[in-house]
Order: sequence, then structure tokens, then C-alpha cells
Amino acid sequence: MSDSKINKTKSSDYWKSLKEYYDDPEILKAKANEFQDGVTDDFDPSSMSGLSRRKFLALMTASAALTATACSDYRDKGEIIPYTNRPEGLLPGKPGYYASTINDGNESYGVLVKTREGRPIKVDGNPDHPINKGKINAKIHASLLDLYDPERITDPMKAGRKSDWATVNTEIISKLEAAKTNGKEIAILTNSINSPSSFAVLQKFIEKYPTTKLYSYELHNNANRLNGWKRAYSADSILPAIKWNEAKIILNMDSDFLGREGNTIENSLLFADSRDIMKSDDFNRLYSVEAGMSLTGMNSDYRIRLSAESYYEFVLSLLNEIVVKRNVSAFPVNSQLLSEIQKHSLTNFISKNNLNEGRIYNLVSDLLRNRGKSIVYAGDSCNSDTHYAVILLNEVLENTNIYDFENGFNSVYALSDASELDELVSNLNSGNVTALINFDSNPVFNLTSKGFGSAIENAGTVITFALTPNETSDVSEYVLPINHALESWGDAHTRVGVYSLQQPVINPIFNTREKEAEILTWISGNENKYSQDIFHSFLKANFNTYIGEKINPVAGQDRFWYASLHDGFVKLKPTESQPPVFQQTKLKATGKPSDNVLLQIQPSYFVGDGRYSNNGWLQELPHPVAKVAWDNFAAISPKYAENLGVENNDLIDISYGDISISIPVIIQPGTADNTIIVETGYGRKVCGDVGLEVGFDVNPLIDSSSINPYLVSGVSVSKGNGSYELVSVQEHHAIDDEFVKDIHKKRNIIQEGTLEEYKNHPHFLHEGKHEIFSITDEHEYNDVKWGMSIDLNKCTGCGICTASCSIENNVPVVGKDQVGVGREMSWIRIDRYYSGTPEEPEVSQQPMLCQHCDNAPCENVCPVNATNHSPDGLNQMAYNRCVGTRYCANNCPYKVRRFNFYNFRDHFEDSYYDNELTSLVNNPEVTVRSRGVMEKCTFCVQRIMDSRETAIREGRQLKGSDVTTACQQACPTNAIVFGDTNDAESEVSKYRNHELGYHVLEELNVKPNVTYLAKLRNTHSEDV
Amino acid sequence: MKKSALDYILKVRLPLALFVILITFALTFYASRAERDGLGYAPEQPIAYSHKLHAGLMEIDCQYCHTGVEKGRHALVPSVNICMNCHAVARKDRPEIIKLTEYYEKGIPVPWKRIHKVPEYAYFNHSVHVNTGIQCETCHGEIREMEVVQQVRSFTMANCLSCHRNPQENLPYLTEVKNGPVNCAACHR
Repeated sequence: MSDSKINKTKSSDYWKSLKEYYDDPEILKAKANEFQDGVTDDFDPSSMSGLSRRKFLALMTASAALTATACSDYRDKGEIIPYTNRPEGLLPGKPGYYASTINDGNESYGVLVKTREGRPIKVDGNPDHPINKGKINAKIHASLLDLYDPERITDPMKAGRKSDWATVNTEIISKLEAAKTNGKEIAILTNSINSPSSFAVLQKFIEKYPTTKLYSYELHNNANRLNGWKRAYSADSILPAIKWNEAKIILNMDSDFLGREGNTIENSLLFADSRDIMKSDDFNRLYSVEAGMSLTGMNSDYRIRLSAESYYEFVLSLLNEIVVKRNVSAFPVNSQLLSEIQKHSLTNFISKNNLNEGRIYNLVSDLLRNRGKSIVYAGDSCNSDTHYAVILLNEVLENTNIYDFENGFNSVYALSDASELDELVSNLNSGNVTALINFDSNPVFNLTSKGFGSAIENAGTVITFALTPNETSDVSEYVLPINHALESWGDAHTRVGVYSLQQPVINPIFNTREKEAEILTWISGNENKYSQDIFHSFLKANFNTYIGEKINPVAGQDRFWYASLHDGFVKLKPTESQPPVFQQTKLKATGKPSDNVLLQIQPSYFVGDGRYSNNGWLQELPHPVAKVAWDNFAAISPKYAENLGVENNDLIDISYGDISISIPVIIQPGTADNTIIVETGYGRKVCGDVGLEVGFDVNPLIDSSSINPYLVSGVSVSKGNGSYELVSVQEHHAIDDEFVKDIHKKRNIIQEGTLEEYKNHPHFLHEGKHEIFSITDEHEYNDVKWGMSIDLNKCTGCGICTASCSIENNVPVVGKDQVGVGREMSWIRIDRYYSGTPEEPEVSQQPMLCQHCDNAPCENVCPVNATNHSPDGLNQMAYNRCVGTRYCANNCPYKVRRFNFYNFRDHFEDSYYDNELTSLVNNPEVTVRSRGVMEKCTFCVQRIMDSRETAIREGRQLKGSDVTTACQQACPTNAIVFGDTNDAESEVSKYRNHELGYHVLEELNVKPNVTYLAKLRNTHSEDV
Repeated sequence: MKKSALDYILKVRLPLALFVILITFALTFYASRAERDGLGYAPEQPIAYSHKLHAGLMEIDCQYCHTGVEKGRHALVPSVNICMNCHAVARKDRPEIIKLTEYYEKGIPVPWKRIHKVPEYAYFNHSVHVNTGIQCETCHGEIREMEVVQQVRSFTMANCLSCHRNPQENLPYLTEVKNGPVNCAACHR
């Protein structure tokens, strides 16, 4: 070190280095400059390393990618986890079928549940069931989705919080005991009871707690029919079913027996049976008298538009014409009845109501000509006097042999009448009811007009059994989650001759219990007595006493139980009994029809009284008449709309008493003037996300004094504020619009004739048509060639095929917004066309699905060959090849191709159905399509392949009759036939070559493989 | 004309780079073909089961364990109770059998590693192939000689189609064999 450095005195207290400490000149220089040497030099890239940061990163990425590709190990393919002990008879990959029973209101249907690997994936009708014969309605098809509903209640709830069974049961039992000692009423409120075993459980409960009262209600019920019947015969006589197939003339008084009243499946089957051109050209003739256009009205040969208040008068006028004027009667009618009948004259009635005179007199002569072979049938909405008059008319015409007493209706427990329900409400209000048990019923929503919503607040404790949250469970202290029908044991005895059994096909998915099992636990007085088997063993014991002992099977009770369980039902021997004797009493003169505006309240075709609201499949099924989905509406006539100054979608205000609701309008051709038709089941306030506040709640408008909701007279109606968008799957246009008027007939989409025309001229349909030739060579189909035929004489347009197809083929729910922009995904739809005048429209219906054309226009335009033709005549669609150009849909003349604009599973209502639970509903045999691919009807190719597999296993040729498509299986009238068109003996070939067979848009020469059989209207020749 | 830097990049560097990338890709593509198709995939199984011993040496029929192959889509991996038919008595002292017995008695399903897998969105059905007379070995290789089962053929659409189009050559042991279906819906639906 230099001297200077040594001599340096400290110049600062802080230093960073020794150099600094010693005031090194370098440091001093550095301190003087702000930047270090070279920092501010010019930037010269060439002097730097060739490996820039960018290049380095690129190289790293590339080599990482290459390493990953080249050196990666095998992809993991997951695991295969076999059973430890495979249950006998269960083969993974093969479906199992179980016979069971599912209730819908007071009807029960025999079902066959298809399971795969232990989970139910499809519910179809039990083909052996004597009543519904392998067919079920859309609600039961779709009830499968309720099992996998993500919003099911999973655990018992107490005061809105999750609890456990032991806690709630102990508390409930002590409350019930307290009620017993204090002598306070325990009320059990249930929908109709179809199950003898449930009823036996409830009876045991009443024995244990004698202060219990049992109330049973159905919002839409047949109380009037029963009253009329009991007046005409005896109080204990059986209400018969109708042999529709034996009736040549049917006069239907506002009963939608094909759509929503009674056992619609049985009715449709029998009705269509005498409209089968293959069997006979002797069709039945259906006259419908109704105010609102219904499914049955659409299928009528003659539809008589009449205000609901005039039905009674109409029947009496007919009676007057037949009994008094024509002097026809099977027996002398007593003077009291005669005097009432004589007050009404048919001629006056016709002129007063502006009816078609010829048509009414034709009806009279038809009825007279077909005495003993006709039926007059009044709907549930008719009052009991009308029912009595209709029974009288049938007696006069000797039509009683059309009644089917062997399959008559059995009532396990009669519904409560209006006074009993009023008494319950007043007991609740006066605080006399210490416990109200809602046995899977939703009175707060259904019985709003009776003031149930406020009355329930005065009940001591409210206990509600429910599958999903509803208006009643929302105000209940205890909410007890119940098993779905597919998780429950049970039975049903709704028909005299048939007892049906219900068996679980899956273990309870959640912490739920059968409601009967809970009641049994309460009876035992101890939560520990509960076991999953408790109701099962009760049912089995009850079965032995209820059925087994009567039948006294040779093989022993145990084997009989298992055999019955296998079949799903027991057919009971008809009891020898004389048909009931008609009693002539008197008719109460009902008031003259008023000029009042009438409000008719009907159940929804698909969501019923609201119990199916949280089911997307059902909400999205279009209304069979109006084709509106996801809403209810007020249907009014064009003339009435003009008077009110409203158009489609405009809101109207309907007031009755001090209640007023706003509801959008659909102008429905064929509706009676001054009549408004609305449907219940919508406007749910507490429900899962699917049904929540969909549509408008019309329950408050129900006449509170009446036991049923059907008719409200004297409502006031005014144009409301603004409008509300209803979505429909068919455009709404004025049916007399010049451009579209009768386009379906001009383009030969619908080809029709009359029965008489056909009898005289079997070939009338194809006269004047010329041979269409092709300019290219035809492709040859040497083996099986698939084809379908649809008999439009039998098709009622019920829409069950759509439901079944969607479930079989994993068709997604898209939601209201998407239906609104025409993106519904159903593979088969029912097109509905009007012709004639807006007042008296003639309706034609046609199921439309992929026609699997031989010269398919869609195939030519696919740029990636994703859709092409198979050697067995299928227009096939390879989803994983489709790139979503949508050219095919543009080129399809039938508009049956559907495009996945979204991944609809995660699109609908914030992925409502995109969860692990709901994905269990998917059919594993069908690809779940994703966003960006086209799809369409495949003719159920998975079922074809399954049959092919069976044929190969059995070493035989595949026959056309081996395959049943989902729509065909579900069609309640067997209108759809599927099979091999190359086999001349097959049923489908017979239809294809029938004189009435035609193809839609055949002049395009696309050679469709769906043949339609032209509809024949059974009208009188003078009407043509 | 003066050569610019762009000329150099376009004419020399770019083709060179592309060439190198293509070669690398092509080489790795072919080199990794086997792995991607799963050829030679022989994962370690939870129980060291030997097909060579059971199917080869002892000549137990494939379908004794893999039931259902004639009836349905799957050739089932046997449920443990089938193993226990013999091993309730046989070789109870071997470590692997002790493991097996433990699975059985505790009711734990055995998590076998999956070896053969048809690509997604294809519906393969064992029964139609087996009932036509096609031998297991045609697709699964000489299982009888495998100590540890491995995949020997690729399960790609091309491989399926090669046989469907020309079964006479691929299945010489079948005297009367028709071409398999080659339409889309035969496998995809």
C-alpha cells in the first residue's frame, strides 16, 4: 500500500469497501460518474452471443416437445375393475330388464326398466301388462330424469338445515305421541292413493294415532264423472273402462281421452285399433264437442266448437231429438226426466249456437244407426248432471256393452270431496291440526285457491315428504327426502282386474327413504326399528293377504311372489257380477248458458299439475296443439283476440274475484269465442332451476268452492301491458295467410282423403301421378334395407315418440332461449298443419324424422364425407368426422338435421345437466355429441347393431322384425312400423306398397325410406 | 441486383430450418409409433398373473376366465371369485395368491391395468368377432406365451379396416369368411 493510502484519514462514517474506505481514485472516479464504464456505450448485437434469449427459449421448447413425443412412455389406459363377486345374471355391457310400476296421478302403468351396470337408463312399457300393453306416456318416460335430478333433496332437513334421520324421527315420534295424548288432529294429505300397501300402512298409522285424518286430493280429478255415475247406478258400482275399439261412433264431450284424461295410453291403443287400414276399412267415427282445441279434438272426424256452458244443453237436446222426436229408447224414460228433456230442442239449439245443421243431424242418425255400437263420453270437466245425461243417452241407445267392467277402475281410497278439504283448511286455521303430514303432495302450490298457503302456517308441525324442493317443503319444519319410484317398493291396484307390483332397480342414490318405511318407523315408535327392508317385508306380507290368499297358488306363496314380481303384475279373475242397473232419478236444471267469459283450466299435457315441472325433457316437449315449449299461455279464438285487441304473445289480465294474473296469448284456431283455455303446472315458485318460474301460475284463479278446477265462469279479461315472448317449434302464422295457406297440401306434404273415397277408389291417391325416373344408376341393396312406415290414420300426435327418442339417443335439453332461435335438438318432431277456416280448422299431423333417403341430398354436400350411406340403407352420421359446416342441414328438404351450436350439456341453465349424477342417465350405446357437430335420427342404429350381434350369435340371418326403434316402441297406437323393405313379407313392405303409402316431397326423387300412409277422414260423403 | 438479408433468410435459412424440423418430426413420428399405438405396452399388474402358466402350460380355456365374450361387447376381466374357484385351495402359500386372497376376502376389487383399448367413439363388440370364429390371438397375440401380457397389434382404425377389407388374407384359418362391414355406422354411432 502507498503512503497516501496509509495516511488517509477517514472521510466518511460509512463505507462499502476497503477501496472506498481508502478513497481509491478509481472509486472516486466511479462516484463522479452516474453510470459505470461501458453502460452507455452503443448497443452492438453482433458483438453479443449468437444465442439470444428468444432463440434459447425456442430451442428449449422445441427440444422439450420433441423429447416429449419421442421419449414419452406409453399412454396410461386406465384400469379395468372387475366385480369381486359378479352377481349371477349380470353381464357388464348387457342390459338387464326389470318389470315394475310407476304411477301418474290416479293411473298406474306397468313399466319395463332397462338397466346397464346397475343404473336405470330407459323406462318403457311392460309389453305383458294387460292395460297399457308395452306403452307408457311421456311423463313416465321422462320420470327417469327425476331420478338423476341434481336438485333432489339428499338428506332429511329440519327447519331448512341438514339433519339426520335419527334426530328428525325421534322428534317427530314425540310430537305424534303428544298429539295422541292431547287429542289433537294429525292430518295426512296425499295425492290419490293407488297402492293397497301404502293404504294399509296409513291405516296402521291411524290405528296407532287415532286422531289422524286422511285426506286425498288430485287437482285434476274425475269427481264429476264419479258423482254422475253413482247417481245413475249405485254408490258402490264400478266405474267402467271404455272398449273404444268396439265403438263405431264416438261422441266425445270435451274429454281429451287421447291426450290427458284417464288412461290415455289404453284409450289411444283401443281407439287406433279401429283405425287400422291393414285390418279393415271399417273405421270408427269420432265427433268431438269442445271449447278448446285438444289432442282428441285434432284427431276428430268432426269437431263441434261449443262453449263449455252449453254441453249440458247439447246432450239434453240430443236426448230430446232421439227419445221424444224419433221415439227411440231402450226403455220408457220417466216423466221427471222427460219434462226436463222436453225443455230442449235440437233445432233451437243448433240455430242458437250457430252449428252446422247437417253435421248435427248426421250425428243423430249415426248414433241411431249404431245403437249398441256407439258411445257418448263426457269429460271430467263436464258437471255431474251432464255426466248423468250422457249415461242416460248411452242407456237409451243401448250402448252399455261398450262399458268394460272387467277392467273397471278400482279405488283404493276415495278422493276427499270439497267439503272435507275445506274442513282441513278451517281446522288448520283454527289451530286444531297439530301435525300436517304431506305424503308426497304439494298442496301449497296446488290448493292456493283454497287458501292453503296461509292455512299451513297455523299447523303445529308440518312434515313433508318430497323428492325435490317444492312450495310445501319450503314452509315445512321437517322435509323428508323420499326414494324415487325406481328406488322404491310398492304396488298399485287401479284396475279391478290387474294388481301391479313395483320393485326398486337401484339402491337409493342419496340418504333417502321410502315414505311408507318412514311411517312404519313412526308406528314402531323407535328410529332403530328402521331398516331398508321394512316396507319391502310389509309389502310382501300384505301381498300374501291381499292377493296371494285369494289366488291360493299351487306352487306356494313365496314362489308366487317372485313370479309376480318378475311379471310386474297379477291378473285377477273377474268377479261374477251383473252389470249395474240404471236408476232413473231426475236432472237438476242447470242455469242457462250466460254471456260470461269462461275460463277453462286444464292440466298441462306434460308437466301435469306441476309435479313434473323440474324435468327438462318434459318442459321441452312442445305442446301437442300449440307447439309452444317452456311456457303456458292463454289460448283464445281469433275473433275474441280481435275483440280484445291482442295478438300472439300479448299479455292479457284475467281477473276473478280479487285475484288477477297476466298471461300471454296464443291465438288458437278452433277455440270457442269468449273462452280462455289455460293450463296449470307452471309458474312454480319453489322448484329446481328447470321449472322455477317457468310460465304463469293460474292456480289462484281456480274456483275455490269447486272440487275441480276445470271451469271458472265470469272472469273479467282485459288487454294487459306489453307482451311476453313464447317460444314454439312451429312458426305461428295466420292460417289464412295467402302465402302459406294450405302449403302442406299444395306441396303434397300431407296427402289425405276420406274413407268413402278410398272405398270407392282405392288408388285415388296416386292417380295422375307420373313415374319419376332417375338420370343416374340406382344403387343396389342386396341384403337388409331398413325402412319405416308411419300410419297417419293411427298417429294422434301425442309426442311420446319424441320423448322416447330423446331418452334413447341422449338428445340434450337446450332451454327456452335456444328453442326460441330454432335450435331444439329433437330427432323426431310432430308437424301440425291447419287447413280450413280459423273457426273450424281441420288439423293434420305428421311425425317428421330423417327420411334416410336413397339419394340423400345431405350426403352430396358434406365436404368431409361425415355423412354417407351404409349398405343397409342408413343415412349414417360419423360425429368425429363432422367439422360442422352445416351444408347438410341446408340441403335437407325435410329440415331434420340438428346442429350442436353449443355443447348443450354445459349450456343449458349454467350446466344444470352437466354433472356426474345426471350423466348416468345417458345411454352408453350412443355417443354423447359435443359442440360443433351435426346430428339426426339414426334409425336407432345401436339397436340394429344389437340385433345384428344377436343374429350372429345365433348363427342366423338378421331379420327386419328383430329391430324395434325407440319411437316405434313408444308409439301408443303402433303407428310406426320399422323393418326390412327388401323382405316382401315384412310388415313394413306391406305398408310401403299400400295404395295409401306416399313419400313426402317425392317429386324431388330423393327416394325417402319413410313411407307415410295417407290419413283417411271418416266423414260423410255429402261433406266432401 | 444486390442480395439482401431477406434473400438469404428466404433461400437458405428458411428451407434449411423447415427441412430440419420435418426430418425431426418424421423421424420421431415413426420412432414413437409403437408407443403411441401402445405396441409393446406391458404395464405392471397388481398381481403378477402369468398367462403363460395358466393359458399356455395348463391350457385353461380363455373363456373360463374371460366370460361373456360370446354374449356381449366385453370380454370380461374375471371377477375374483373365478380365480378363487381354484385358488381357494391351490397354491395358497404363494405370495401373489396371498395377495389375491386378501383382495377377495376384503372385497376390494383388483385394479388391473388396462392394456387393450379401442379408440374413443368406436363401438367394438367382442361377441360378433368371436362368434364369427375369429381367434383371440389374431388381435391379442400369442397370449399363451406371455409371462406379462403386452399389446402386440395396434388398435387403430387402419388396423381394423385392413382386416375388415381383406379377412381372407388376415384370417387364413377361416375357410369361409366374408368381408367385415366398412361403413361408418358399423363402429361409430
